[in-house]
Parts: sequence; structure tokens; C-alpha cells
Amino acid sequence: MDDTPQITEDEFRRLADFLYRRTGMVFTETKRYYVERRISERIVATSSQSFAGYFAYLRSEIRNEVEHLINAFTVNETYFYREDHQLACLSSDLLKERISGKRPGDTIRIWSVPCSTGEEPYSIAIWLLENWKDVDAYDIEIVGSDIDTRVIEAAVEGTFGKRALMKLSSELIERYFHELDNERWQILDDLRQSVRFSRVNLIETKETRPQGRFDVIFCRNVLIYFDDESRRVAAENLYDNLLPGGFICLGHTESMSRISPLFEVCRYSGAIVYRRPKELRA
Amino acid sequence: MSDYSKKRILVVDDAALVRTYYRSALEAHGFAVEEALNGLEGLEKVLLQPFDLVIVDVNMPQMDGVTFLHTLRAKELPISGIPALVTSTEAGIQDMAAARRAGANFYLVKPIKQETLAEYAAILCGAAR
Repeated sequence: MDDTPQITEDEFRRLADFLYRRTGMVFTETKRYYVERRISERIVATSSQSFAGYFAYLRSEIRNEVEHLINAFTVNETYFYREDHQLACLSSDLLKERISGKRPGDTIRIWSVPCSTGEEPYSIAIWLLENWKDVDAYDIEIVGSDIDTRVIEAAVEGTFGKRALMKLSSELIERYFHELDNERWQILDDLRQSVRFSRVNLIETKETRPQGRFDVIFCRNVLIYFDDESRRVAAENLYDNLLPGGFICLGHTESMSRISPLFEVCRYSGAIVYRRPKELRA
Repeated sequence: MSDYSKKRILVVDDAALVRTYYRSALEAHGFAVEEALNGLEGLEKVLLQPFDLVIVDVNMPQMDGVTFLHTLRAKELPISGIPALVTSTEAGIQDMAAARRAGANFYLVKPIKQETLAEYAAILCGAAR
């Protein structure tokens, strides 16, 4: 099949409703072309005869088709040390504050969600090795989560192309990666083992809650894909996933103050971050 | 950069990030580094290959660092004579004493600067300074 399928306005609306209920992502009429392209790919991949046939297949939950479709929709472009002013803020300010109530040997939990193909959680690990003097004195647990199972598989494998590594110096690449063929690099086994990956949908409390509570959460450039209601649910889930006094970093164009009143805004030299208050408010 | 490429060091620590941190510190000075995830694996490695130094954490699953040292020192020479540097987050006198009794040559409290680790490693390996 080469052309995009014929989807009526009513069919598009039903599909958008379905995707919204399952993922929290909003697809308006303006994204119709984009949606049709992805649907077209999935109709071919599932050997469906028509949109109606495909939609029935999708709703019947056969062979994880919902997951495949979500995978086709999510955007996974990222690179190491992206928005590194926040990583600088992590090592210079946030962790200092978090360890003030801890003892050496205690656990520090950091969550990268969505983690895409692993660039962000691995960046956190490398950044801490390079820039945080207490890196060996605490039990650092880094968790990477994403809604897209396909990217999680890639993250676990930990191989990257030139583009993903463009911000890393050749010294860092040499220190933490080994070169494969075809201009691909694989991150060292120890670093792969230092990050645990899991599949999580941010608007499903039953999926976020088992991840436990974190000292710092990086949740960058995903809330922009949600509508107000899903954003609020996601913010509440993220709040639950933070230890009291824990921090959350969003993308530089995002503002938690517009989404939820639960968090305190904190200004550090390098970044604006949000904090779950230490004490419950009355 | 000094070159200690003839010297072989075994790093025994259950935390992957810490192993990476120590490895990169030591490799930057030319040491050859092997790793083990706990005392049991550490013992297996020293029985299989020669080492000039073991750097061992205290709190680890399966077998902790103090038990590892006791067991190591009870082996035959030359294995029993491998110098051991203990690294730990525990800074108490009794923790250090327990490590010494078990056969530690030196004890460093985490966090440890990469330069400091490499310096002590060089001394304990008997490498020329």
C-alpha cells in the first residue's frame, strides 16, 4: 500500500479518542496527516485491509498492537548531554541538598522519564562520574523509563551513532564507550548495568507507583505532548514519585507552575527546577 | 601521566558506577584493571590471575570485603600476600580496625578523589613514583 488510507472525520475522531484514553497524547485535526502516515504503516505491517479493519484489530488488543502504534507515534530524537545546564545543576546544587539528610552509603534515586533510547540516563551516569565528587560515596540508582518498549530495548543495548554523541568530547567517548563497526559506539557494560530500565506510561498511576520514590526526576519535553487533563494527572503521579524535598527538572520550554500547584519553584544558578515541598501543606 | 602498565589491579565493588569511577582513575595512570562484583567473585579472580593490588569495598552482597580479606589472607602465598586497599563509606574507628585485623594494608573513606586513589594504588603496588 503506498497511499495514506482513507480515514473519515468520524474515524479519525474515534481513533484520536482511543489514543487519548490509552496514552494521554492529543491528536487534533491539525496532526491528521501525521497520524494517517503512521496508521498507514501499521495497516501494512498488520496486513489489515482497511482502516476499519485495522481499528477493530487495534481495539481487540491482539499482539500488543496498541503498543506498536504508540511506538510509531512517539518521538525519540535525543543526544548525550542535552540541556547540560540541568546536569550541572544536579551535581552542583540538587544532590548537595539531597544528601544533607543522608549518610554516606545511603541510596540516591534518579529517574529519567521518558528515557528514549538511553541518552539521558546514561548522560546522568557519565556526568556524575565526571563532575560529582561524592559519586562513590552513595549508592546511586538510576532508572530510565519510557512508554515505548522499542526504545527501551535499544537503551538496554546501549549502542549509539555519531549524532547522539555529538556533544561529548573524544576523551569522554573513549573513556565510556567502545567503538563498534559503522561509526557506532556501545556504552561500557558497567554503565549499562548502572541504569535499570522499565516501561511506564506517565498517566497510569498503577504503572508509575511501582517505580518507587526518587530524589530527582528528569521529565523533559514530554508534558508538552499532553493536554491539560493528562498533564495534571502526570504531574500528580510525578509528585507521588518524589521523596519529600525531591526535585523535578522539566524541559526548558515547560513550566510546572502552569500545570500544577503542588510543587515549589526553585531557582539555581544554572536552572529552574521544581521541588516537592518537604512538609505537607495544611 | 605515569605509566604503571605492568601493574594489575582488581577492583571489588558491587556498584557498577563506582567500579567505572575507579577504573577510569586507575586506567588514566596506566594500570590494568579487572573487576569483581563481590567478595566471592573477587576470590575467584585472584585464584585465576595474578594481581599486584586488590581494592575492595566493605559492604557487598554474597561476600563482604572483610570476609574476603580474611579468606584471602588464609590462602597460600603468593595469593595471600596481595596488598589490599579497603574503600568504604564507613568512617568509624572500629570499621577501620576490623579491616586491619582482616588484613587490609590501607583504608580510605569514600568519597575518594580519583587522583588520591591512583596515588595510593601506586604506593601499595610498589610502583616507582
